[in-house]
Amino acid sequence: MDELLAQFLIEGRELVQQASEDLLALEREGHSPARLDSAFRAVHTLKGSVGLFDLAPMGKALHAAEDVLDAVRGRRAGIGSGFLDPVLACLGACEAWLDAFERHGALPPSALEQGRQLEAALHRCMPGAQVAETGGPAPSSPTDWATALAGTQEEAVAAARAAGLTVTALRYLPDADCFFLGDDPLALLRGLPELIALRIEPRSPWPPTAEYSPFTCNLDMQALSTATAEEIRRVFRLVPDQLTLVELPASATAVTVAAADGAGEASARVLRVDAARIDQLLDVVGEMMVAKNALAGLAARVGAVDAGLGRALADNQAAMERLAGEMHRSVIGLRMVPLSQTFRRFPRLMRETAAELGKPIDFQIQGDEVEADKAVVEGLFQPLLHVLRNAVDHGIEAAPRRAAAAKPATGQVTLRASRRGDQMLVTVADDGAGLDPAALRAAALRRGFGTTASIEALDDAAALDLVFAPGFSTASTVTALSGRGVGMDAVRMAVETLGGRVSLSSVPGAGTTVQLMLPRATVISTVLVIRLGEERFGIPIEAVTESLRLPVAMIQPISGGEAFVSRGRTLPLLRLSGLLRLPPRPRQGPVARLLVVRCGDQPVGIEVDGFSERTDLLLRPMSGLLSGMAGLLGTALMADGRVLLVLDVPELVG
Amino acid sequence: MTVVLEADVIRLRGDCPVGDAETLVALLQEVPGRMVDLTGAGTLHTAVIQVLLALRPQVLGPVGNPFVDRWIAPLLPMGRSG
Repeated sequence: MDELLAQFLIEGRELVQQASEDLLALEREGHSPARLDSAFRAVHTLKGSVGLFDLAPMGKALHAAEDVLDAVRGRRAGIGSGFLDPVLACLGACEAWLDAFERHGALPPSALEQGRQLEAALHRCMPGAQVAETGGPAPSSPTDWATALAGTQEEAVAAARAAGLTVTALRYLPDADCFFLGDDPLALLRGLPELIALRIEPRSPWPPTAEYSPFTCNLDMQALSTATAEEIRRVFRLVPDQLTLVELPASATAVTVAAADGAGEASARVLRVDAARIDQLLDVVGEMMVAKNALAGLAARVGAVDAGLGRALADNQAAMERLAGEMHRSVIGLRMVPLSQTFRRFPRLMRETAAELGKPIDFQIQGDEVEADKAVVEGLFQPLLHVLRNAVDHGIEAAPRRAAAAKPATGQVTLRASRRGDQMLVTVADDGAGLDPAALRAAALRRGFGTTASIEALDDAAALDLVFAPGFSTASTVTALSGRGVGMDAVRMAVETLGGRVSLSSVPGAGTTVQLMLPRATVISTVLVIRLGEERFGIPIEAVTESLRLPVAMIQPISGGEAFVSRGRTLPLLRLSGLLRLPPRPRQGPVARLLVVRCGDQPVGIEVDGFSERTDLLLRPMSGLLSGMAGLLGTALMADGRVLLVLDVPELVG
Repeated sequence: MTVVLEADVIRLRGDCPVGDAETLVALLQEVPGRMVDLTGAGTLHTAVIQVLLALRPQVLGPVGNPFVDRWIAPLLPMGRSG
């Protein structure tokens, strides 16, 4: 990416954030000239740098926002707090546009119309200002079906646009055999937020009644939604190949390119370094650690020849070791950033969500000074946003129910982080309706998530865990009954990708707490090195619950496999060679060596040829061609210079 | 039973899973002209809705399920029960 653009994107997001924080502080704390000035400067600077790129709608909207803030600063008559909403909406749009600009190098087609609406809203809160004239509708160029669909649904589209929403057309062509695969295509559409039009047609003409077969899906579904493309893709994440999305371009004004308006005024207080350069430094440090380890062997050899020289070399080696370790920690520390980098984006988004749903919310953040690896801090944004929105949407009750339960009208949502050694605990707590385990069990039964016996056997904690089951929370009856929403399985997946765990606790009537336990640093892992024939592999220590030496006689053949009894439980036994698709080898000697590994909730024994050491390694994720390989977490350079493959055992067992 | 035949009216009761599509088709193919009563219907599987769209029996409402009522009923030949 060109350097100017990269710099613009970083600064642009910071300026949006700065202005949002200033405005939210104004709302919270009342009039403050310093905050107003700061917000004005941020918007002014952003508007100036926007002119350097092809971002005219953003420039014009920001210009209008700047005028409004300037008027408020000058205390011109007629401006109350009514300016906050349109300016915040403008900042929200700018953030989304910056994302789009980074990904696609251009603004989405809807930006013109959206910018025009933002501008109009901003002008409206300026007394005596003229609402900008708009041109006629511009010719649109989506695919034909989308145009046709929008044409037949003009009213719905116009109403959505009047509310300032973007309309996306989607076409879903379920596979002919999808019923056999257990799909229910309309259930996906039911789960779609903000459906405003739906058209269903046969893909090929219906046969005569007597020849109709109920087993083949022959539907072509077209819909309009005001949900974002991302939300829609999430609903259809299991059938992405059957979905087409078209964002409907809005009517447009003629484009005039805003002139560049002076360079940014932001002064550099910190040195910005590309994360890739830090990773490069980390690689070099890793190699240095290896070189240092070799020195220990050399000192021993020299000591055998000349004891005095050997001692001197060993002293030096120890000093090197200490320094290298320190350097390693410092470099790792460079990747550590405070959680506030992600958390600070939430207050504005929560304010939007609360306003959309018409629920007054008091949103608190605690512990955002906790630091974690940049990848973890950034990766937390999506899952946390989901959980936070759920808390407002499904956790906090509507006003009448809160009143009936003698709760304060304003719902409490708290995002809290705290350090737990190498890990951190992030919780989202609400004081809403909570979840009813009995209702969840009933829903699970209805939805076929198990047999009656297996579901009734679930204790309350296990019943609550059902909300994370894939597809469970999208079932409409569940949302109606228990109120916990769509896509908690996606949250769990995202958190697990970051190396964390997510769980949920709830007191019916008093609220729900979602807990995320996450590693603060992802780069250093403790692995157990195991042997398989001549090969060595690493297994992350957190995956291993115990290592066992078991007499071969205690291994029982069962149907098509093997099992053994440990602590009174019968566990399946799998051979690592089999999981890696290596040729099977006979067992050596009377004792088998196994690791007990947790796969989901089920412990499984994995047989290996031998255990070696436990070691701390710099785990590098697989990259390039290898990144798609299942069952591999990454590679690490061993002290002896060999490359160790680190296995993802739960995935191997799959 | 979620698909029940009473006189010449097929009543869908509660949530109808995918398997009900086959039952419904059989009842509609057996005697042409039978009506389908959706007043007690819950969540209908796509396969069941596809039967209604393809064979176009006269449908009796008001439809019990809000999603079907809002999005599917307008596509069907509707009558009123009672």
